[in-house]
Amino acid sequence: MSATVYREPHRLPAGILALAVHGVFFALLYLGFSWNKSASLPATMSVELWQSLPEVTVAPPPARIEEVAPQPPQEKLLQEQVVKPDIAIPEKKQVVAKPAVIKPAKMKPAAKPVEVVKPEPVAPPPVEQKIAEPKPDPRIAAQQAAAMAERARQEEQAAAKGKVVDEYMGKIQAKIRRNIVEPPDVVKKDIHAVFRVTLLPGGGVLKAELKKSSGNALYDTAVERAILKSDPLPLPPDAALFNLFRELNLSFKPTE
Amino acid sequence: MDVTQDLSFVHLISHASVLVQLVMGLLLLVSVLSWWYIFLKMFAIRDEVKLTEEFEEAFWHNQNLNELYKYASGNSTREHGAMERIFAAGFVEFVKLKKQQGVDASAVMEGTRRAMRATYQREMDRLESHLAFLASVGSVSPYVGLFGTVWGIMNAFRGLANVGQATLAHVAPGIAEALVATAMGLFAAIPAVLAYNRYAHDINRLSTRFESFSEEFSNVLQRQP
Repeated sequence: MSATVYREPHRLPAGILALAVHGVFFALLYLGFSWNKSASLPATMSVELWQSLPEVTVAPPPARIEEVAPQPPQEKLLQEQVVKPDIAIPEKKQVVAKPAVIKPAKMKPAAKPVEVVKPEPVAPPPVEQKIAEPKPDPRIAAQQAAAMAERARQEEQAAAKGKVVDEYMGKIQAKIRRNIVEPPDVVKKDIHAVFRVTLLPGGGVLKAELKKSSGNALYDTAVERAILKSDPLPLPPDAALFNLFRELNLSFKPTE
Repeated sequence: MDVTQDLSFVHLISHASVLVQLVMGLLLLVSVLSWWYIFLKMFAIRDEVKLTEEFEEAFWHNQNLNELYKYASGNSTREHGAMERIFAAGFVEFVKLKKQQGVDASAVMEGTRRAMRATYQREMDRLESHLAFLASVGSVSPYVGLFGTVWGIMNAFRGLANVGQATLAHVAPGIAEALVATAMGLFAAIPAVLAYNRYAHDINRLSTRFESFSEEFSNVLQRQP
């Protein structure tokens, strides 16, 4: 008997067959399995987001009115606190000079909120001055056109701002909703618990008071606990928007 | 093809993390090797069974041992099976011991059996080679694949922690690419286990045949004058 190392016969055909098996396997994987190439997922994503928004979308219109009329002093105060005033004043003039061009182009809500919002409180007075100064004789048509342009501009700004506000309202609600541990015996599903949440500038929860009980004390406390638990609530990076978030009326209902 | 959700096979593999890719590469290598051994053993065992049957046929129809020995060890072009080698080893040893003077009959039979047993064990070792590899592929590669999957899913979830609003769309690609590793592990393991069981059974039957043959051949030799 020879002691040489035994070599199996049929080495080559076996190797070819082995490779063929893998070729078939990968061909099946590649062709037979319908890999998801079209995007059907984003649709479900947006559904998830919008679920919480209908209650919030009511908020933007009052927000727009509030900003135009009563809040300029407050916001100026805020800006003086946040932004250094000597830099802010020249900036304002620059931004006012070409506001309508920039705004529609920049639709990213989170990235450029500062530029979008800043001219807002300052804008109305200079434009009114413009209207008043160069045309003392009341040309109504020009004035109307200017007013129209102004309104359109404001609407654009408000839309951009509203988008940011909506986004963060949704985020806040989603964060709290995630933290709700629902009591097991919530039988009625169509109940609402409305909370008035007072926020600190950093997003901290100062106070959460029950405004309208859902009728189920366990569910009320569960929501309250969830609000306190999700303590740093997400706020937009723009400090000027905080006024809209200082006091929130949030409504919660049990999931189906 | 959409940029956002491209879940094609190539994309899944090329975008997996390095460790998962390593695991997939290892599994692919192991899978190719195990399939190679599967086919090698398949051919080898098939040939062995065929040769054994042929030799048994020849052995029971031809009582002339010298002719049989020429048939079994002659350097003709045909291959020799394990049983033929056992027969040849036993016969050579028997003839050598017979030629020596003063060796009694039981010692002759003892030596012949030892020679046949040695050849039998060598042949069994040859037949069983690579079977251990198939066994370990069958038992280990699912775990290797699972390891790749767990690692990939861990990465997918860690990436998820940075996203505020978690949706299925964030996790799904990561999990899909991680699961490819498990699929490959199973693809390597299932045939290996099946082949191992099948071949172990076949070799067991062959070994029984060899053993009973060597017993019978001992009897035939004992009857020799």
